[in-house]
Amino acid sequence: MIKQTIGEKLFQTANYIFLTLAAFTMLLPLLHLLAVSLSSPVAADSKEVFLWPVGFTLASWKHILQSSGLWQSFVVTVFITVVGTALSMLFSVLTAFPLSRREFMIRKQVMLGIVITMIFNAPMIPFFLTVRELGMMNSIWSLIIPGVIGTFNMVILRTFFMSLPKELDDTARIDGCHDFRILFQIYLPLSKPVLATVSLFYAVGYWNTFQRAVLFLRDPGLWPLQMKLRAYLTSPEELAQVNMFLGDYNFNTTTLKAATILFASVPIILVYPYLQKYFVKGSLLGSLKE
Amino acid sequence: MAELSETSKLQPGVTVNRAVKPSYLGNIRKHWMLYVMILPGILFYIIFKYIPLGGSVIAFQNFQIMKGIWSSPWVGLDNFKFIFTYQDFYHVLRNTALIALYKLVIGFPAPILLALLFNEVRKMLAKRFLQSLFYLPHFLSWVVVGGIVFEVLASGGFVNAVRGWFGFEPILYMQQEQYFRPIVVLSSIWKEVGWGTIIYLAAVSGIDPTQYEAAVMDGANRWKQTIYITLPALFPTILTLFLLNIGNFLELGFDQIYNLLTPMTYSVGDIIETYVYRSGVLQGQYSVTTAIGLFQSVIGFILLWVFNRLARKSGEGLW
Amino acid sequence: MRKQLTRKMLMLMLSLAMLLAAGCGSATTNSGNDGGNGEGSGGAVKVKVFKSHMGVGSLPTADNPHVKYIAEQTGVQYELITTPPGSEPSEYLNLMIASDELPDILRPIGGIEQTLIQQGGALPLDELLPEYAPHVWESIPQEAWDIVRSASPDGKIYYVPKVFLVPERAPLIRQDWLDKVGMEMPKTTDEYVELLTAFRDKDPNGNGKPDELPTSGREFGRWMDHLFAMYGVAMWEGYPEWDEYDGKIQYAGTTENMREAIKFIRMLYVEKLLDNETFLNKGEVWQAKINNNLVGSWYHLPANVRDRYNAMLTQAPDAYIAAMPLPKAEGFEAFVTQKSMGEPEWMIPATKQDNAPNALKLLDFFYNPENDEFGRFGLEGEQHEVQDGRKVILPPADNKPLALGMKNLTTAEDMNKRIEETYPEDQQQMVKDMFEVSTADARQIAGDGLPASVYEGFPDIQSHKLFQEVLTKIVIGELPIEAYDEYVKKWNASGGEVVTQRVQEWYEKVRK
Repeated sequence: MIKQTIGEKLFQTANYIFLTLAAFTMLLPLLHLLAVSLSSPVAADSKEVFLWPVGFTLASWKHILQSSGLWQSFVVTVFITVVGTALSMLFSVLTAFPLSRREFMIRKQVMLGIVITMIFNAPMIPFFLTVRELGMMNSIWSLIIPGVIGTFNMVILRTFFMSLPKELDDTARIDGCHDFRILFQIYLPLSKPVLATVSLFYAVGYWNTFQRAVLFLRDPGLWPLQMKLRAYLTSPEELAQVNMFLGDYNFNTTTLKAATILFASVPIILVYPYLQKYFVKGSLLGSLKE
Repeated sequence: MAELSETSKLQPGVTVNRAVKPSYLGNIRKHWMLYVMILPGILFYIIFKYIPLGGSVIAFQNFQIMKGIWSSPWVGLDNFKFIFTYQDFYHVLRNTALIALYKLVIGFPAPILLALLFNEVRKMLAKRFLQSLFYLPHFLSWVVVGGIVFEVLASGGFVNAVRGWFGFEPILYMQQEQYFRPIVVLSSIWKEVGWGTIIYLAAVSGIDPTQYEAAVMDGANRWKQTIYITLPALFPTILTLFLLNIGNFLELGFDQIYNLLTPMTYSVGDIIETYVYRSGVLQGQYSVTTAIGLFQSVIGFILLWVFNRLARKSGEGLW
Repeated sequence: MRKQLTRKMLMLMLSLAMLLAAGCGSATTNSGNDGGNGEGSGGAVKVKVFKSHMGVGSLPTADNPHVKYIAEQTGVQYELITTPPGSEPSEYLNLMIASDELPDILRPIGGIEQTLIQQGGALPLDELLPEYAPHVWESIPQEAWDIVRSASPDGKIYYVPKVFLVPERAPLIRQDWLDKVGMEMPKTTDEYVELLTAFRDKDPNGNGKPDELPTSGREFGRWMDHLFAMYGVAMWEGYPEWDEYDGKIQYAGTTENMREAIKFIRMLYVEKLLDNETFLNKGEVWQAKINNNLVGSWYHLPANVRDRYNAMLTQAPDAYIAAMPLPKAEGFEAFVTQKSMGEPEWMIPATKQDNAPNALKLLDFFYNPENDEFGRFGLEGEQHEVQDGRKVILPPADNKPLALGMKNLTTAEDMNKRIEETYPEDQQQMVKDMFEVSTADARQIAGDGLPASVYEGFPDIQSHKLFQEVLTKIVIGELPIEAYDEYVKKWNASGGEVVTQRVQEWYEKVRK
């Protein structure tokens, strides 16, 4: 390893300090929420809690983890996230690939047509009526199909495909590969970082489904997590589900809200660290030698 | 056409000079798989984007919900006239444009810079750990983050506490016009910069390490490496993201501003979306809100068109 | 190899296509079940009811005991439709209208009643009410029906109004703080200022810190109505109302009264008698300040005091809340704004005319005094439990079905009963006393029942944007009080004059 100059060492240290401090500020709100969710209701309300629980209690967590409605919406959300992401990735890749190929003659026109839809948004009522006409009212598919291709994500895939070296194509053509094979056997294996990234984007999008659910779902049994969360945040007394006369309970709306927010965000937050292994340098290395 | 392809097969590496005008049918026949692949996508865009988009005509109607789109009366450009003659329209437009500009100039480069800083972190574990922390605020809603901003800037909040150490009187930042836009931009960066780096980090990981090794041989320090290798490699991604964002230039999004706005900062912070909320939601004026949306989209599209042309010169545009 | 891959891809695509088709298909079975006038179980007629803001719970099905009980009593089986909590109910309603899937009877939100009325979508109820809903017809005062008539262009009754005959809101004050600083209820604004000063300086919450906020409100200048009320300004939750000034009905937000009130509030702000962060207090923050024994005087609903009071008690066992009789400001008549009978509660869409008699029968059931107890408590084991001989309402839960209630008429008697049911014995008198005080000060305003259509075309007048700006900026000191006069001019010029004219025309109709 080449020795670093003083300047570089200084920079490294400064960089570390800056990044760590900044990262800490990003962590603070969630730590605070965690602390509140584990605190006694009195402490939570009187603003005593900062980063550490005061009057430690698991009551809030016990209460929401016992809520069957919350688990049901959790299952719904996991379903639409997994299925949605899979379908979205499939169709986005299938759309992005031809648009990245020079041989695809109508690509500029199609791109323009697609980009226009990204800028010009349909008003809510016509969109609603369209989905309704297709018979997707009150169906879980209404949360997936009307948005299965996200233009932003699809364009990212396209850009990446376009950045792969042309030599790959030529080699493939020599070997007599047709387009499908080029995509699935050559391009995709080399696209792991961008596939991981776009999958993450889709997954987060599906996990946070709210607007569409409000429009199309009538059955509370189909509500995704974010709808439940919103319901609890706006009518927290119901979340508390206790009658004032029925005695002791070691939580209140503040602590329950904190716990619910965490419950609704932590699972998806944990996806990225899992995907980090795909962000490995030099994934293109050696591809040309094949 | 079939003849031509035969020729290219026999002579690998030779670029065929296409003096013959290519025909669409021939292209479809040769690359039919590409057309099949893209078919579901095209269907999707037609069904779920273009058909509902037709409903935008209500911007030219006096949309009455009981009559529906087909029977509501047409008013031509009246809705647009209504918008442009609204006495605070230019205020609202100016606020929107200024905040959008600040966000673009400061907020757009921020994730790039951060990605470059991350790139300099040597220890893999530290890098991954820090990255994972940085994107946490993205998952909080603006209701929560707005509350945090108010708390941090309150008279008893963190910022004023620190000022107190130096003997300064507390300032109620959220009530002062001059602080509003900076607060909007900074809080937006805090919330989104970590998330924004993900795509750049993915792009960076695709750079061939041998390039760096060669540069080091040539005596380039990290700074030169960054400028001559990393940044150029990131350029297509940066360009694409820029183009994707510029089309929505005037669409700042409702949540952030709504949760940070107070009547004392209306004059600098009231944007198109909050105006639409007041007139759309409160008055059920679907026609007006659709007209405003069209206006935002047209401006965005013009910007995109211009930048796309520029992009084509220095690389690839979106089309 | 090549063929295998292609085949694999085609298989994948086919199976996906089938999956999608299955998804689309299964959805349609749901939509087959809603026929509005269908026969319910046991021969009862079905009525679809839309009511928003029902909180957490599942939708009751046809065999739900609550539904069945009502079906037995009235021959009408209700089907409840509600919005997900936290979403915009007006959007929901608009979608229902746009897709022609209206319920048989609905509670309008967000001004949609005017949309329906003006576009001919509402059913006139003049003849139907006396015939099919006699209890509704008779228990609502004629005055209210007149107001309802005035809200429509043709003078017909298009909705059943909400009637609330006790003042909903009141200025509240910490009686224990008064005792601690040894002062009496203030009778004039000067005495009020003295009291607030004592709150500020004499540490009535006893924690040794000068953290008291003598009085406080919420962002946008909301919920400090009492400070305006002392100057005779008609105000509802921080939004100026329409009332008679100088013999004509006017916007309270542009009157001389308002000017004086703002001067007063500015003074309180400077002296730190008014929480200097009042305009930054989000709802929860304001509530927390009150609950944490930091605020001495505020404005809210006496009926909802229970949770706050319990929170206060945890740290201040001597806490006691009383309603404050409004102190008099020199030259002005103070009053607590009461809006009792204008808001629309139930409407029937014109297209659902055929089922209207049944819908009204259902509504009438709840307004029948014999069913009062049922309306309040529901069925034993389902909605309530009996504990120590008292009926106690069971808490709502995700998987518990919601129970429909349709009566929104509150008399003083009803309020008393409500207090007795929801408050522990030792707190009941405290709350009842509050109502006594506020009732003495309350006055119905001229603008009670004003239809939202008067604001059409002027969203900024309707949203009170100009008022909020000038109020907050003058109070925090950014603008001098003279800015008020400019604001009045601007308000009039940007639509205020037009709206005022419309309101005055409406008022003429009502007074006849």
